Amino acid sequence: MKRILAVGTIVAYLGVLVAGLGSHALNYRTGAHPTMYFIVWDMFCGWSAYEDRTHIIAQGESGRYYDLAPAPWGDYRPFGDIARHHYDPFASHAGNLALNTLRYTDHEPIQQIFVVQETWAKKFNLPDNLWAERYTEPKNPHSYFHVRKILGPDGMAQATNLAWFDYQARLCLSDNPRLAADSNRGRPFLEMQSQVQVSDTGARPALAR
Amino acid sequence: MSDQHSPAEKKNSLTDFFFAEEVPYGMAVVRMLLPVVLLLVMVPRWFHARELFSLDGAAAPLADNYGYFDFLPVPSGPMAVALATLLVLTLLTSSLGWCTRISLCVSLVLYTYLNLLDCLSTLTKYSAIAAHGLLILSLSNCGSVWSIDSFLKRRSLRRSGAEDPELLRPQCYAVWPRRLMQLMIGIVYLGAAFTKMHTPAFFSSDQMLHWLLTNVNNSNPLGEYLSYYPATLVVSAYLTILWEVLFVFIAWRGWNRILMIGLGFAFHIGTTFLLGLYIFPLVCFSIYASFLYEEDVQKFAEFFKRLEQRGSRLFAKLRSISESIGQAIPEVSSRQASLVFGVVVLLVTFGGVGVEYQLDPMGTRRAEGAWPLKELDPATVVPMLRQSERIRESDKYLSFSIGSDMLGDVLMDRKEVFRHGEPIVAQCTLNPPHEDMWIECNLHDGDGRIIDRVGQVADRSMLRVSYAFVLPESLLPGQYFLVVRSGGQEITRRAITLVAR
Repeated sequence: MKRILAVGTIVAYLGVLVAGLGSHALNYRTGAHPTMYFIVWDMFCGWSAYEDRTHIIAQGESGRYYDLAPAPWGDYRPFGDIARHHYDPFASHAGNLALNTLRYTDHEPIQQIFVVQETWAKKFNLPDNLWAERYTEPKNPHSYFHVRKILGPDGMAQATNLAWFDYQARLCLSDNPRLAADSNRGRPFLEMQSQVQVSDTGARPALAR
Repeated sequence: MSDQHSPAEKKNSLTDFFFAEEVPYGMAVVRMLLPVVLLLVMVPRWFHARELFSLDGAAAPLADNYGYFDFLPVPSGPMAVALATLLVLTLLTSSLGWCTRISLCVSLVLYTYLNLLDCLSTLTKYSAIAAHGLLILSLSNCGSVWSIDSFLKRRSLRRSGAEDPELLRPQCYAVWPRRLMQLMIGIVYLGAAFTKMHTPAFFSSDQMLHWLLTNVNNSNPLGEYLSYYPATLVVSAYLTILWEVLFVFIAWRGWNRILMIGLGFAFHIGTTFLLGLYIFPLVCFSIYASFLYEEDVQKFAEFFKRLEQRGSRLFAKLRSISESIGQAIPEVSSRQASLVFGVVVLLVTFGGVGVEYQLDPMGTRRAEGAWPLKELDPATVVPMLRQSERIRESDKYLSFSIGSDMLGDVLMDRKEVFRHGEPIVAQCTLNPPHEDMWIECNLHDGDGRIIDRVGQVADRSMLRVSYAFVLPESLLPGQYFLVVRSGGQEITRRAITLVAR
């Protein structure tokens, strides 16, 4: 009996591992269920030439702006020097983080919450001495800001934009007038939250460790 | 053919592979190491448990990202703290081998559950690997050696008068949990190889180069330095994938095992220095202990025996430490130890909730009242909320380098001095996304006059453009410049010196 249980465990466990491996190799339903995270080994699957950070900003009824992240009681830095709210590449939890800060703070009524993506070319992450060795021009970092989401005071999304990288990629494509015309043709009457399928081979931001 | 095996022999060898019996020393080492590694991250998280894992904070369930809302219940604040406290305790007791199986089962459930509640700062791929590790450990008999449980059992046997060395000898168990652990890490590496096969930029060095420049992990100064040498990344890319594919097939015995595990250590230490990963390597190193065979432990034991015979002071010290630990363990039976374990669990868990309440990490009960929000200067915020601007021309390029030799698609060397007739390769690496671009690399003389104008199209999918020059003897020796222009702007320039042959 003990042997049968052991054989069953071995077959079941290896079966699950091999199913995950096959799903990943063939890119078949890798995101079908949260448990797939535990059997699809896609570490460092994406990349980007730009570093990004997230700002969560509230606007009060008076028109004043407030910083919601990090929270006033301090931030948690899980993997280095940057705070937890920066590890949200899809901005899907920013609303929850914002509401948590608002819950424990004294503030005027809030009108809107902005989730802003800040981006800069990763080459500017080089320390000054390495920059001086590699570049003849002075180091002149520049941040791009992009409103990713606008939320109501209850955290519900009022507007959602493409991530900065996808937005810029679309701008690059829009230089082609034929593509621009085709993509603007036949826009739907209702906007759905459809996901755009992105090829895994492309360069796009990802935070896999 | 004589070296072919019959089906019966194959079945036997498969049975031997999974069901040969041994003392589970390797799994005991995994049990001692893996929970300690997880404590390194769970102890700092305990102070933030209410914020990370509870309804009183800002939990970020992984399932939400997959569209499975309310997949797992999010606990209240005190419950999240209680669970985090219990997890810290059971990781500790797992490592010590006190009520080992129950400790490992509780650790597995709580570690996985809490990780699933915070995909921003807790759950990572090393958490997934560690969860597999805890699962397999909880199925194994890893607590039967080098644990408090085994110590108590043997002491109780001795006290009951059992002097038979066979009875006191550690028990043997089927080896299948260790095989599952070994296969698991091998399959993880194979999956990682598939990821790389799906990513063409991995082989051209572009992906790794940008990871070397990122600051989202811990500090990685060596990575930043190495980003200047993409040819080394091309070579290491092929070596890495070769190792990842081969691992599960050959890391079982003999020199292959030493080679694969040795390369594994080198690879993971590399990720620490180059990418700033700390915990991932430690999790993998812990699991490597499953490749420790009973014979290896016997060799170590013989080595220590020789040390003892030679009267080594180090050995005497180690022995006295081990004896004093043994004496520190109270005289209790296994059953009493289990009861004490239950009491300790209750005390520590409730104690943890009480301590966290007193610490009040989110300042919800501070004397000054609720926190004020930090006001931002409108002059800072308003530009952030404007329409996004287009990427600057200078940001579309990553680097411009000059050399004379290429490996794959990248420059192998960097040079500034060239002789007449010597090939010059100028390479401009681009940052995606960019539109279809016309990029010129022009040769100027020392006075700034254009001598040669070379341009080429870089379509939106290209990550680098290279220009080849050969400077003829009709050009005087001296200083020249290679100037990159794009979008009607000068992007950068590099000086080169031409010397006579």
